[in-house]
Parts: sequence; C-alpha cells; structure tokens
Amino acid sequence: MEELTNVPQLTMQISGFNLVFNTQTIIMTWIVMAALVIFGFLATRRARLIPNPIQVVAEMLIGIFYGFTRDALGEDLAKKYSPLICSLFMFLLLCNWLGVIPKLTEPTKDLNTTLGLGILGFIIAHYSGIKVKGFSDYIKEYFQPIFFMAPLNIIGELAKVVSISFRLYGNIMGGAIIILVVSHLVYSLILPPFLVFFFGLFVGSIQAFVFTMLTLVYISLQVK
Amino acid sequence: MLETVHFTQAAQYIGAGMAIGFGAIGAAIGEGYAAGIANESLSYRPETSGDVIRNMLVGQAIAESAAIFSLIISIILIFSEPSQQFILFAWIYISAGLSMGLSAIGSGIGAGLTAGNACHGIVRQPGNSSSIIRTMLIGSALCQDPAIFGMVVAILLLFLDFSSVPLYPGWAVMLGAGLAIGLAAIGPGIGCGLAAMEATSGVARNPVTSTNTNRIMLIGMSIAQSTAIYGFVISLLLLFTSHEESVTLTASLGLLGAGLSAGFGGIGPGIGEGATAAGAVKWISRSRENTGILTRTMLVGMAVAESTGIYALIVALLLIVVL
Repeated sequence: MEELTNVPQLTMQISGFNLVFNTQTIIMTWIVMAALVIFGFLATRRARLIPNPIQVVAEMLIGIFYGFTRDALGEDLAKKYSPLICSLFMFLLLCNWLGVIPKLTEPTKDLNTTLGLGILGFIIAHYSGIKVKGFSDYIKEYFQPIFFMAPLNIIGELAKVVSISFRLYGNIMGGAIIILVVSHLVYSLILPPFLVFFFGLFVGSIQAFVFTMLTLVYISLQVK
Repeated sequence: MLETVHFTQAAQYIGAGMAIGFGAIGAAIGEGYAAGIANESLSYRPETSGDVIRNMLVGQAIAESAAIFSLIISIILIFSEPSQQFILFAWIYISAGLSMGLSAIGSGIGAGLTAGNACHGIVRQPGNSSSIIRTMLIGSALCQDPAIFGMVVAILLLFLDFSSVPLYPGWAVMLGAGLAIGLAAIGPGIGCGLAAMEATSGVARNPVTSTNTNRIMLIGMSIAQSTAIYGFVISLLLLFTSHEESVTLTASLGLLGAGLSAGFGGIGPGIGEGATAAGAVKWISRSRENTGILTRTMLVGMAVAESTGIYALIVALLLIVVL
C-alpha cells in the first residue's frame, strides 16, 4: 500500500524559495509530449492524397474535433480554437492511457497536472470572453440576474475550475487505487489486467473526452 | 493516550464505512435505472442493441465515478496512520466520511437518470446517436460537480493540519463542515440529473435544436448547483475561520447548526430548480421559436425557488458570524 503515499519529489532552493518538483509526473509528462511530437511528425512528414495509416488517424481526430468546435463556437472562432481542443484531447488521452504500460504511471494521477489544465481552460475561456464581448459586457455578466449575485457568480466560476480538475484526478486516482487494492487481494492473479484495461483505456478515454468537451463548453458560455 | 488512539482508529473505520456505504446508494440506483430504461427501449427496436449497450456502459461508468470518489476517501481513511494525539481527529475522520458519502448520493442518481434517457433517445433516433451521447456526457459529468465538492472538503479535512484547533468548538466545526456540503449536495445532484435527462430526450426528439437545448441545460444546471456551492462555501468558512475555545455547549451547537442549516436548506432548492430547468429544456426542443420566453420564465421561477436556499444560507452565516 505504500505506493499510494509515496510521491518522488525533488526539492530545490532557489533564491530563498523552496521549489518542489514531482519528478515522476514531470518525466511521464515529457514522455507523453515526446510521443505526441513523434506522432505529429510521422503524420505530416509524407502527407499524401492516399494517406498512410498514421495520417488517417490524425485526419480523423482533427476532423472530429473541428466539427465539435464549429458546433459550439461557430465557423470563425472554430479555426482558432480547434487546434487547442484537439491537442488537449490527444494529450489527456495519452496521459490516461500511459498507466497501461508497466512501470509508467499516469501524469493525470497528480492533482497538479489536472489543476494546471483546468486553470489553463479557465484563463482561455475568460480571455476569449473579454476579447469577443468587450470588457464592460463581460463584467455585466457577473451582475446577472440581480446585482448582489456577483460574489456568488464569481465563486461559481471558480468552482468550475475545481470541479473540472478534481473530476479527472478523482477518476484516474480512483482507478489506480482500485487496481492496487484488488491486485493486493488476489495476489496479482488473473483480475488486474482486465481492471487495468477497464480503468486505463475505457474510463481514461471517457474522462479525457469529458474534460475536453467541458473546456469547450466553458469557452462557448463565455463567448456567447 | 491509548484511549485516544482507539477512538481515532474507530472513527476512521466508521468514516470509511459511511463514505462508501452512503456513496454506493446513488450510483447503484442510477445505474440500475439506466439499465432498466435500456432494456425497455431495446424491446421497441432490438436491432440497435450494439449502440444502446455501448451508451449504457459509458453512462454507467460516469454514474459510477461518484462511488469511485467515495472509495478513494474510504481507502485513505482505512490506511492513514491513527497516531494522532488529539481526540479532534476522530471527528475529522467521521466528518470526511459523511461529506463524501452523502454528497455522492445525488450525483449518482442524476448521472444514472441522464444515461437512461440517452439510451431511450438513441432507440428513438439511431441516426443521431453521436449528438445524444455528447449531451449525455456533458450533462452527466456536470451532475458529478456536487460530489466533487464533497470530495474536496473530505480531502481538505484529511490533509490540512488542524492540530491547533481547540476541541470544544472544534468538533462541531468539523462535523458541521462535513454535513453542510454532504447534505447540500444531494438535491443539486438529483436536480442536475433531471435537467440533463430532459435535455437528452429533447436532443433525441428534435436534433436541430441541440445547440439551444445544451445551452439552456448548462445555464439551468449551473443555477441548480448554486445551493451545493452555498454548502461548499459554508464548509470552507467553518474550516478556515478561527474559533475561540469555549466549553459552553451553545457555541459548538451554533456552529453545528450552521452546517445543518446550509446542508438541509440546499436539498429542496436543488431538486426544485432542476425540475424547473427540466421543464424549460423539454419544451425548448418542441418549440424552438419560444426559447426567449421559456428561458426568462425558467430564470424567474428558479429565483423564487432559490429564495429558501438563500434563507438557509443567511441563517448559516448569522450563526457563524454573530455567535
């Protein structure tokens, strides 16, 4: 059970500040990023009219997520935001699938990763809201329906960041804990691989999609 | 000292039992409902069984995540060290279990209701299954928000350092914080589920209106969740304001009362506003041209239903600030 509480950390002293790095999470995130860069390179290196298999996958992903973004934001903004939405999904999908490979762990099992992505979505949504509607209309939104609702509206916006990041963290962490406990109980016989595939591949894909869609929905609520 | 260790350890086990025990209620009801509706719908059109079963499993996996959150808190409670010197930790463990377990009830039911109606919708409009599944995923994921607030409070209770808090209002602060978000999350979870359930049916009935329907569903759900947010705010206020030590029972019970007020006060408005949003979303899919008036009526109705939740919030704030 000690795997649960054991987080490899590196502490550095830089100009009086104690900087703590979760080394495992950082290494896993870099592995995911490297995999995505290689995928992008292979998909576009020899782009042809008759595509190779990797190009097919890439075109399918881009097509699907461009469609979703267009439905939510309209034709103009979709050109700008669909690369973000598509790459967010690919990143999260690979992050959640990484735990299937032995010795590797999901970076999304660390709250720092999911909270970082949640804050990223929050900043992008509010930036695009200010840009599209203008600052005064953006501020007016907070005083809807009555002016004294403003503090509650602000708390509601912040609660979205909490809920979106804890949802992903809770699901991935929960899957990892269930796999660990069941493996411990059955002496790692027979059951764990099925659980790994259920929680790693199935739940991981659903949660990656949900996180991406909610980021898109939050952007669209600000823009319209 | 030995007595303290026994008490805290017993509290850990009680908390773990309550977390997963209460947490399993909602998810199980929701998943069962989803499976039942899927079966019923398949009898109309058995050839869509592949799509429906896939959608049922996806929906059930989302409904299950509230129970998975409860499981995390239970496991943390069972395996954390009971070596604390303070009897206050016993109350912290019980409260963490209560906040997670109770808050998962509504979310599980809500997500299950959504999944069930999505299965029905796919049978009705098999060609439109992708947009139905998308509405279901967004809707049932947002039903989980109250459970997530409960999990955040439970994690804060377990991992923050409360060793400087005096025991005598302290036990009531901890229990109040857990009950405030735990109880307040039940209603909004079910209410959001009602709204999302009608939204999936609406998208299935009239796919052209899916953008409108989704938008009104999101607005309705975010207002229906506001009482869960009140409960969350009261929990955080209780945990993060400093309380003077006092051995009289009134001070402690006042703080516990604040938690109970915000908690019970949140149940009704959550369900009621969810029903309002469900009505609006249902009829927007049938008469799209009246979206404006339906939205306005929904907002006015919700504001009135919300008022009782605001009374509860005011009483809770009075109990915390004035006493």
